[in-house]
This record gives sequence, C-alpha cells and structure tokens, in this order.
Amino acid sequence: MDLRLIAVVFAKEVIDNLRDRRSVLLALFYPFFGPVLVGTMIVLVGQAITNLPTTVFTLPVVGAARAPELIAFLKDNEARVIAAPDDPETAVRSGARDVVLVIPDGYAQKLDSEASATVRVIVDGSRLSATLAMSRTLTLLREYAHVVATRRLEAYGVDPRAAEPLSIRSVNVSVGKNLVGFFLNMMPPFIIFTIFVGGVYLAIDATTGERERGSMEPLLTAPISRGGLMLGKVGAALVFTATALAVHLAAFLAMFQIVSAGDLGLVNPPGVATFSVIFLISTPLMLLAVALQTVIAAVSRSLKETQTYLGLLPLVPSLPGLVLVFVAVEAQGWMMVVPGFGQTVLIGLLVRGEPIALGDALIASAVVLALAAALLTVAAWLYGRERMVLGNT
Amino acid sequence: MIVVEEVYKRFGAVIALDGVCFVARDGEITGLIGPNGAGKTTTLRVLYTVLKPDRGRALVDGFDTVAETRAVQRRIGVLADSRGLYPRLTAREHVRYFGRLHGLGGPLLEGEIERLFERLDMGEIADRRAAGFSKGQTMKVALARALVHRPANVLLDEPTNGLDVGASRGVRDLIREIRDQGRCVLFSSHLMHEVASLCDRIVIIGHGRVLAEGTPAGLRRETGTDDLEDAFLVATKGHG
Repeated sequence: MDLRLIAVVFAKEVIDNLRDRRSVLLALFYPFFGPVLVGTMIVLVGQAITNLPTTVFTLPVVGAARAPELIAFLKDNEARVIAAPDDPETAVRSGARDVVLVIPDGYAQKLDSEASATVRVIVDGSRLSATLAMSRTLTLLREYAHVVATRRLEAYGVDPRAAEPLSIRSVNVSVGKNLVGFFLNMMPPFIIFTIFVGGVYLAIDATTGERERGSMEPLLTAPISRGGLMLGKVGAALVFTATALAVHLAAFLAMFQIVSAGDLGLVNPPGVATFSVIFLISTPLMLLAVALQTVIAAVSRSLKETQTYLGLLPLVPSLPGLVLVFVAVEAQGWMMVVPGFGQTVLIGLLVRGEPIALGDALIASAVVLALAAALLTVAAWLYGRERMVLGNT
Repeated sequence: MIVVEEVYKRFGAVIALDGVCFVARDGEITGLIGPNGAGKTTTLRVLYTVLKPDRGRALVDGFDTVAETRAVQRRIGVLADSRGLYPRLTAREHVRYFGRLHGLGGPLLEGEIERLFERLDMGEIADRRAAGFSKGQTMKVALARALVHRPANVLLDEPTNGLDVGASRGVRDLIREIRDQGRCVLFSSHLMHEVASLCDRIVIIGHGRVLAEGTPAGLRRETGTDDLEDAFLVATKGHG
C-alpha cells in the first residue's frame, strides 16, 4: 500500500474540509457547548449551596400569640414569622404560601399540663417548590419538641439520653465540594458525544458526498487501492475528531480554572495531566467512531440518509454515560469489554480524581481497537464494491 | 492499445454486455456509438476498472483490467460518466490532486497543469473554486484532470455532452491532437455526425453486442449506404 498516495488523499480531504463551514463548526465550535453548559451549572449550583444556610424563610403562623416560646424558638432559627392569611388552606393550595403553621386553641394548656399538644402544618405535598419550606418547618418543630421533652425529663430527674437511644447525625457527603463534583459526572457523556461528532461531517462528505456529487467515479480510476483511498479519508476524519476532542478538553480545563477561581466549592478539579490521560484513552474510540461513520456513509443510499443515521449515532455511545451521571457504579471487568462503555467508566474515574487500573485501560483500548480494525476492513471491502460507483439502490 | 475480448456483464436480470469484442489502436480515434442503454458506458467502465466483467477480459497495453488494475490505471486517462468536481477546490487544485495521485509532483506537475490550462483556455478559472462552474468549465476541469499525467490511452464517455458548439469543437480538436501524438483514444457518443467527423474507426454497439465495426468508409460500404447515419440505422435495425 502506497503511503505517499494515502497522504495525497489525506491532504486533499483536510484542505477541502477546512474550507467547509459545517466541518469547521463541528470540530472547533461545537466542542465549547458542553464545557460552557457544565460551567454555568456549577456556578449556579455553587451559588445556591453558598446561599442555602443563611436563607431566612418566611413562616405564616395562625395563633402565634398562643405559643410565645415556640415562636421565639422559630425566630432564633432563621424563620421569619408572619401573620397567616385568613384562609390558610386556600392560600397554600393556590401557592400564595408554601406552608402555614396553625397553633390551635388550648395549645398552651395542654403543653403546661404535660400532655401532648397538637399543631397543624398545612402543606401541598405535590408542589416541589414548597418542599424546602415544608421540611424546614417540620425539622424546627421536631427540634422544639425535643427541647421540651428534654426539659420535662430533666425535671423528673431522668437522663434525657434514656429517651433517645439513637442519636442520628446525617453526614451529607454531597454538600460542599462534592455536590459540585456531581457535575464532573456529566463530562464523560459530553466527551463521548464529541468523539462521535467531531469528524462526522468530513466522514459523510468524503464518502457519501463524494459519490453523490459524482466525483467518486473519476477518483476510483486513479492508481490507488480502494483500501488506501479509504484510509486517506479516515485519516482526515480522525484529525478533525482529534481536534474537536482537544478543543473540548481544553475548554473544560479553562472552565474549571475560571469556576474554581470563584471559590464555589470545587476542590482539585481535573488538570492538564488528567485531560492528557483522557485524550490518550479516547484515541482508540476516535478511530472506532470514524470507522463506523465511514461504514455507514458507504452503505447509505443518499447524503440525507447518511446524515440521519450519523446524526443519531453519537447518542448511542453517550447514553450509558448519561445514566452514570445519576447512578454511581464501580469499575468492573465486564465494563471494559463493552466498546465505549469502558472508556466512559474510565473517563468518569479520571475526572473524579479516582485511580484507574492500567489493565482496565489496556483491555478497553484493545477491544475498541479490534472492533475499529474490523470495521475498517468492512469499509475497505465496501469501497471495493461496484456499488461505490453504481450507488446503493 | 485497448483490446476487449468477449466481455459479459449483467446487473441482476439485465444483460448489459453480451460478449463485446473490439480493438482500439494507438494513433487512432475509435468511436463507440450506439443508442442509449446499448452498453457504451458499461464497456468504458470495465475498461477504466470500476466494473469487473463477469466473463471475458479487457486489456490496456496488454495489462488485464482485473488482474493488473494498478498498471492499467497508470496507463489511462478517464473522462468518466459522472464528472463531478469538489466545490471548495479550485480548478488548479483538482488537476494537481489527480496529478499527485498519478505520482507526479513539483515543477513537472505544475508545468503540465499550466500547459493544459493554456491549451484548454482555462486561465480565467484556474484559481477559482469550482462551486458555480458552468457545464463547459466543469468539462474542461474534468478533461484536464484526466490528461494531466499524459496517459497513453484516453477513455472519454460522451465528452461533448451538454457543451455548446464552440466548446464541442474545442474538445474535438483536443481529441485529434491526442491521436496525432500517437496515443489511443476511445470515446463514446450517440451523435453520429460527431463520430463521422472524428473517428478513424467506429464500433457500433447495441444490446450489449458489437453490431458492426470498421472505418467510416468501410461501414458505409458494408451496409450499402452513402450516409453513416443510414449505416448506423441499418446496423442497429432490430436491436434498437
């Protein structure tokens, strides 16, 4: 196989597609979309977390005068107590109020007689936006009940701990640095998507486009093997894919630097070294993407058909990554032999700063490279068919 | 020199070539003429290596189009049935691309491109991108890229199709010039007057078979007609 001729085809395709707005958009501008989106979300969520503890929430109360001690407790705990509307249930149902606390007649007498006093919390459980106010109200009421109970037990000379055999302290590891880290999980599907989109326009143009515009037939009369011709085109698509991924990773890197500068809780974001490893791990997948695109472009009947198939294709390998955003999994051997999924898991570990096993990376790469080689063989065979000239009708 | 020996080719139930046999010699213009669907393009496609014959063989300068594809490709210049251009490349870049694919490069290639552009009067479009080229301009680029490596055998599928009178004459002059350099020219046409004025030998093809073959004078004699068009109609009678 003449490498010099393959280089001639490669150079022609690169120059031709550098002049094509769609190819350049896909390789140089689309890759910014993911990092900008994730960056914006990190900033927004970071601000929400920062603001949460200091938020004073408004609590309308019916009969506040009947429970001065409870009201004082609520006020001490960041609740702004206001008078309730005349018809509290309608106000909550209509959404005018998130929650209303009702302190009924006889509350003070029951509490004083050491019986159980009842308060009512009016909520609309179907309204998500009211969840936070509801849960804070209930928490504060339970805390106040705990304070009263402790006081009563102490008055009887009983150690309050006897009535509290289980002391619950929930530690939410997602709050603070790691809640923002949730968004790191969004990176693998974006990266996989970029790999399958970066060179797609060139792959379509160089095969289906070449046939449809009638330039394939004269090209096939030139003294270069069909396999060599195909490889030159694949090489050019690979360069566009690699460029797209490099731009994508660089944009993520820049985004993390900008975002963490704002001290929004992102500690040790992935750096240059991590991104270099991600690029390396993605290389076999880039070859697979381009080989798959070339095969599809060679069997499609028309440019439109190719564009439809290849427009949907990036979603398939990206989907498992999207699921992993919400469901945490540990890297396991079987995942490495699923083409694309192994890379998704490995990239996920890398962006979260967790170690990856070299063996896993090698297995995942070998599987994808073998599949890419098989697809390239199929592509070379497809290029050799008479249908390359006559069309797939 | 081109030799076609008993070539058969079918597409599904359709028999495209049914034992085509003829010879096109160096220093001669051989015209392949026949009604639409006669098998002209399929014959040329077998010769320029994009189709493989089911049976029989085609030789270019003694090289088999199937067994020695690369050797054949190096010896042919092709104006194919489809002659699409790359809209984002200039005329010069088209011809340079094909020159490089034929192993040319450097000043030799650039000189040859310049010579062709001058010969085909392409100065004006040389460095313009192909998007929006007229049919005539497209044809000139397609011809230039077919001839840039100075092939010994030139295969042209309906080279004047869609061209205006002036451009057609230019192409015919070029074909004669190539013949006068001792090269082998095989071209297809369905225009009798074109074939009559150009060809040293005529191969009349119909339904995938060679119906008649010879010099224009010989064909007239054989069919007992004064006019080539009549000769063509006599030859294709019952086959068209």
